[in-house]
Amino acid sequence: MSLPKPVMRGLLGRRLRFHLPVAFTLALTAAIAFKYTVTEPRKQAYADFYKQYDAVKEFNAMREAGVFQSARPTGE
Amino acid sequence: MFRAVFRLSASGARSVVRSRPCYSAPVASRCYSHGKVESDEEFDARWVTYFSKPDIDAWELRKGMNTLIGYDLVPEAKILDSALRACRRLNDLASAIRILEAVKDKAGPHKDIYPYLIQELTPTLTELGISTPEELGIDKL
Repeated sequence: MSLPKPVMRGLLGRRLRFHLPVAFTLALTAAIAFKYTVTEPRKQAYADFYKQYDAVKEFNAMREAGVFQSARPTGE
Repeated sequence: MFRAVFRLSASGARSVVRSRPCYSAPVASRCYSHGKVESDEEFDARWVTYFSKPDIDAWELRKGMNTLIGYDLVPEAKILDSALRACRRLNDLASAIRILEAVKDKAGPHKDIYPYLIQELTPTLTELGISTPEELGIDKL
């Protein structure tokens, strides 16, 4: 029952040679996936919101709601 | 240390094939573009000689073992034999057993290495009267 000689050199190197490219690929994939599932939709949502945004109309709505001190509702 | 891997840039990490002739002997070889790459046998012989010094002192033993453990390899049986005999010359049983523990740890997930080394070292262990961590029951947490 004599054990054969196993490989004893370069074990970490062999592991890294396989796992480092995998790690970098996965990290890159995760970043790309995040970009296209989160940041791009978010940017698009903001763009869509502000495309038809009427600042003056929104201001008047806020003014009538009475939130400003320097621009009181038109009734007062 | 296996410097070849860490020298690769983040984006170019995929093409490991780019690395030098030291690819075949990734042991203690520094990846010089010039300079000879040491063979495995030369490496082993150098370390056997290091531990065979008749008047080796405790510091040199510790330094040698620490350096050896830093490499990307599990030391050969003949290197360990030489180190264990150095422990005997220094009357240091604790270090001898610690060497066995360190070697088992170095093998990591490769569970076939440590039993093989114990098989190879058993004559030396019985000759020098060194118990293995398993025999002492200190291999369990």
